[in-house]
Amino acid sequence: MLTLLRDLRRLRRSIALPAPDRGRSLAVRHVDAGSCNGCEHELTLLAGPHYDLQRFGLGVVASPRHADVLLVTGPVTSRMREPLLAAYQAMPEPRRVAALGDCALGCNVLGLASELAGRVEDVLPVDLTIPGCPPKPAEIAAALLAFIDGAG
Amino acid sequence: MSGYLELVESALAAGSRVGALYASGGSVRTVIVSPHGATQIAEAPLRDGRAPSIVGLAPAAAWDEREAADLYGIRFDGHEPLRPLVHHDLDLAGWTVPVHGEDVYQVAVGPTHAGVIESGHFRFHVVGDRILQLDARLFYKHRGLERAAEGQSADGGLAYVGRACAACAVSNSVAYAHAWEELLGLAPTADLARGRTILLELERLWSHLNDIGAICAGVGFAAGNSGFAALTERARRLNERLTGHRFLFGAVQVGGSRFTLTRDDLAHARTELEELRAESRRAWRELLFNASFQDRLPDVGVVSAEDGRALGAVGPAARASGLPDDARAAGRRLAYDGFAAVAPRRTAGDVQARLEQRAVELLQTFDLLDDLLADPLDASAAVPGAPGAEAVGVGLVESPRGATVCVVERDGALIRRLHLRTGSYANWPVVAHAAAGNLLPDFPLINKSFELCYACADR
Repeated sequence: MLTLLRDLRRLRRSIALPAPDRGRSLAVRHVDAGSCNGCEHELTLLAGPHYDLQRFGLGVVASPRHADVLLVTGPVTSRMREPLLAAYQAMPEPRRVAALGDCALGCNVLGLASELAGRVEDVLPVDLTIPGCPPKPAEIAAALLAFIDGAG
Repeated sequence: MSGYLELVESALAAGSRVGALYASGGSVRTVIVSPHGATQIAEAPLRDGRAPSIVGLAPAAAWDEREAADLYGIRFDGHEPLRPLVHHDLDLAGWTVPVHGEDVYQVAVGPTHAGVIESGHFRFHVVGDRILQLDARLFYKHRGLERAAEGQSADGGLAYVGRACAACAVSNSVAYAHAWEELLGLAPTADLARGRTILLELERLWSHLNDIGAICAGVGFAAGNSGFAALTERARRLNERLTGHRFLFGAVQVGGSRFTLTRDDLAHARTELEELRAESRRAWRELLFNASFQDRLPDVGVVSAEDGRALGAVGPAARASGLPDDARAAGRRLAYDGFAAVAPRRTAGDVQARLEQRAVELLQTFDLLDDLLADPLDASAAVPGAPGAEAVGVGLVESPRGATVCVVERDGALIRRLHLRTGSYANWPVVAHAAAGNLLPDFPLINKSFELCYACADR
């Protein structure tokens, strides 16, 4: 255990992420509306040592009740439309929606039209779009941080 | 009609397993996989939309028949009750197993979860904290990929299997390419086989690192999770350096390969893999000596070899239960010469065994990559081999989560029917079985010890 912690400290030093320079935070609630799991795998690593987004007060929260931003991945499937709307409706105002990945933006979506409900934009008002298939963790991080900076 | 059941029964008696079952045109087709990785098709023509069920012979086919019933309207004689799987329009009593008794209540979890997790619904029937029965309702992410791929060319259909799931993109794509190449009578060159084998092992590398970290996360062991997250990140960066994509998207083609490796690529990859091997061994040792972590693992989520076989468990989860099947040993069309499946010291079929299985397979993957990355790799086209007279092409590949079968039926140069049955699809019923009898707070751990994809099960 001590070795592991020491290794992590050494890794942290070698990656040398800049210290947080913002006085703000953003609580993110993730909803997978039908993705291929690529966006999820990249999102997971944002909390890892190479990106450590939590140092900016940017974390994934366990309930939409705690969230500022709904981060939606995937082309919205017909079966995920209702759960997505339910998560949005549970959020307190002010609330924002971010569409993560090409599928969520309606780009190159594969599937049967009858099984899909449309882009995230067709279901919810979208405030932030993060393109990519999937977007790299650094790209997701940059987009979310710019969003914190730009939000009134 | 009875010939179908007899064929399936005799194949199972000879040690084969059901690799997939799907509806096609006027029949139901079952892909039978022999212990040596050979595949054959058993076919049951429909009569008035009905086919005999094989679930009595092979419980592993239960989900396949339920899916064929939902999506193709087929009734399976002898499959009672035939609960919906893909359809979500029935009420609770229609899709769950009834559990009655004093103090029995239900806990509903999902489809959205408290973290970065794919969407799916779990219905636990519990007494106190004890799980009596788990009904998993997936297919929230069903995109209709198989039906959407119909009418596509061999190249056009590739995206439908490749993007079915990011975590199995290479495995699914190679299985699809193999199915087409079987139809077209194409055989791989040595470089084509080696290139695909490298990609498959790079996919296994990041997946297994991710899965070990996920099990740490499953018990809230943050240091272990962070350590393996860092290694996963490095493995994905290596993928990007070698193929231009962190998940190796676009690296597999049908009928050939554009994937090349120069001496510079090899030198970079070998250095990086040596470091990754040393660091993952070091991090693994730390997990072994962490008593409070290790204490959570044994005797939790047990799957016996007998149950695993009946339910059709595949991949690391099956091997952790003492079932040695590994499609790599058959080495169909790939560069796995001399491959032998590995197993942990203790094949108890519990969370600990499934975790250890990842660790021993990870070391094996480093060894395999060490051999595979000895020489530069050139682009290569498949060459004419055995005549491609078959109407049905079958690809079989060992993904990081287990044997994956891809079936392609063609109409000339276009796809008439595509079916993809992944290791995750095979193992989801096993997760539900493993959860029964355990404590509800252990479910995240049990689930993570399988670490299945929802995306390629739902398609």
